Amino acid sequence: MIDSLSKQYEIEDKGNRLFKIRINQNEFLRTINFIGSSSNFITLSQIACSDWIEDEVFILNYILTTDRRDKNLMIELEISREQSKLPTLLHIFPQAEVMERDLHEMYGIDFIGNLTLYDFALEDWNEIPPLRREFDTLAYVNEHFEFRAGREDNKDVKAETKRRRAEAKKLKAKKEAKK
Amino acid sequence: MKFSIDIKGTIAPFSAIARVFEHPQTICYPSQKKEKVDGYRGFHTNLLETCIGCANCQDVCMNDAIDMITITEEKNPKNNSACIPRIDYGRCCWCSLCTDVCPPSSLKLESESIWANEDSNNFLYMPKDK
Amino acid sequence: MIESEQNRVIKIFHGPQHPGITGNMSVELDLVGETIQKARTHIGYLHRGFEKLVERRTIIQAFTIVCRICVPEPDPNEENFARAIEGLAGIEISERAKYIRVMVLEMSRLSAQMLWMGGQSGSVGLGTVAQWSIYDRDLILDLFEELTGGRVYHMYIYPGGVRRELPDGFLDRLTQFLDYLERRLPKYDNILFDNSTFKKRAIGVGVINPDEALKYGYVGQALRGCGIKRDVRKDNPYLVYDKLDFDIPTFEGGDVYARALVRRQEIKESIKILRQVIADMPTEGDIMQKIPKHRKFKIPKNDILVSCESARGEFNYYMAGDGTEKIRRMQVKGPSLIHGFTLLEKMLEGEELSNVAMIMNSLGICPPEIER
Repeated sequence: MIDSLSKQYEIEDKGNRLFKIRINQNEFLRTINFIGSSSNFITLSQIACSDWIEDEVFILNYILTTDRRDKNLMIELEISREQSKLPTLLHIFPQAEVMERDLHEMYGIDFIGNLTLYDFALEDWNEIPPLRREFDTLAYVNEHFEFRAGREDNKDVKAETKRRRAEAKKLKAKKEAKK
Repeated sequence: MKFSIDIKGTIAPFSAIARVFEHPQTICYPSQKKEKVDGYRGFHTNLLETCIGCANCQDVCMNDAIDMITITEEKNPKNNSACIPRIDYGRCCWCSLCTDVCPPSSLKLESESIWANEDSNNFLYMPKDK
Repeated sequence: MIESEQNRVIKIFHGPQHPGITGNMSVELDLVGETIQKARTHIGYLHRGFEKLVERRTIIQAFTIVCRICVPEPDPNEENFARAIEGLAGIEISERAKYIRVMVLEMSRLSAQMLWMGGQSGSVGLGTVAQWSIYDRDLILDLFEELTGGRVYHMYIYPGGVRRELPDGFLDRLTQFLDYLERRLPKYDNILFDNSTFKKRAIGVGVINPDEALKYGYVGQALRGCGIKRDVRKDNPYLVYDKLDFDIPTFEGGDVYARALVRRQEIKESIKILRQVIADMPTEGDIMQKIPKHRKFKIPKNDILVSCESARGEFNYYMAGDGTEKIRRMQVKGPSLIHGFTLLEKMLEGEELSNVAMIMNSLGICPPEIER
């Protein structure tokens, strides 16, 4: 089935029975339907998303696996960070419903046709979707929580070493001057 | 698979009664204590004669649990910063990365794991000097 | 509880504070009498944000928090993380390290099956089994304590190998434990697997249709209990599983009892694998490859998918690097994501309220790995 797919798409072999295809956003549904009907990659195993803020895209990987569960195929596509919309795969793979809900909550991607895009793991969340790169967890924590007191005597080791060396030099120079 | 009643399935569970006459396996703490195991990741110890105050432990700790504080009595002339580590046990996860990166291997973990303090907000632990 | 005038439908929340729940999640049930009309899963009580935490840490710092993603069985997480980093950075580990990793993974699988036995029997009302199996699991945790330094969270499988050498006499103690466990298994048969009470409760309940099981992405015992033989260790082998001789048990029926029998056979197969590992383990070889210091360990710009067979099914990690010393993205997908939502909501329709805990235990739904 890899040979039959390689006539239509350029397939990268990543080793260990893992393969990758790169497609455009507008070929998405057509590709999924074609692969589902003409090869034995019949199950959707995972939808992986990563945020490349420097290129202003999200890169999504739809990971399909065979009925013998021995090979994995990653279908990679890029979507824009500002207007991230994709059609849902809920009607082909029911397990996509909960995966798309997770990605909607964490990245803010809209899956058209999926009516279950409500809270998944976070409740009453009022900030931007948290897995986006511009969400700074340290700034959020500093703003909303207080730290326990008692740790103010922490010293910067490099600054202390410099200070002690300078003091030791001064002391030595004084002693020499006295002589 | 269909369910049908069988003699073995009805009588065999009663064989568990034989265990009533065995010695119980629970340890009656505190009159009996659990055996300490070598290599258990318990509390920190820091040999001050060899600690050089380099703060490698503070750098690698990903929970920001280690503070470097000024030592009161100098034990190692090679300690250029005169600082030694103190650990916040409210943040430490006992992964022992700090002991892996310590250059003179002065910071170690012992098998001790019980510490009681009157102040319920006090988590700052000074490693024992040994 | 909300009672509706027209249909006498009562809505209750099964969880999150409930002894019959395998962890910390809730299932919202619409009941008419004691029969469930509709079920909806709710999670979010255990969200710790691992995928965001990992983005701010270097690789060696991230390795120590990854094991906490799954509480009953932490080692498949460490193994997946280590193998993903080794795949991206191009590190090859020694044969000895591979055998030690297989040993740790199988011991962890045994301890998870012991914990499952306690949970499954407790949900049916057989409390004695839980007392026995938690004690036997404690003996495995004693072995882990002397090997890795921790009882539950081991932090032992490191990118590049394993962290410590085996203590003296460890393999002998492990062999003694395996002999003890094999003597105990017929007693578990007497009180659990052959027990008429358990059989009457479990046969015919929670049935999975084998025709849709493969397409809908079910894994682990959900497939093997329907007679479909799938296991990552045989289909997509990793470490040294292709050199070991073991079988994948399957049973027909697709109900709770079939899945319980599958797990009973898997305990025997794990003991078989461990005996082979003890016999074949190479005595020479480095346990750890040399890797750069933690702020200088950079991984190239690439992505990878790795998977591993945990006690409940296939565990996947997707990892992407961007050329710096931090990981760009680590996405975790455990077996419970599909089982806890798609499968559970479908299976509970038409079931009785008292069977909910038994079904959840038999699917092995683990909330920590759904919401990371």
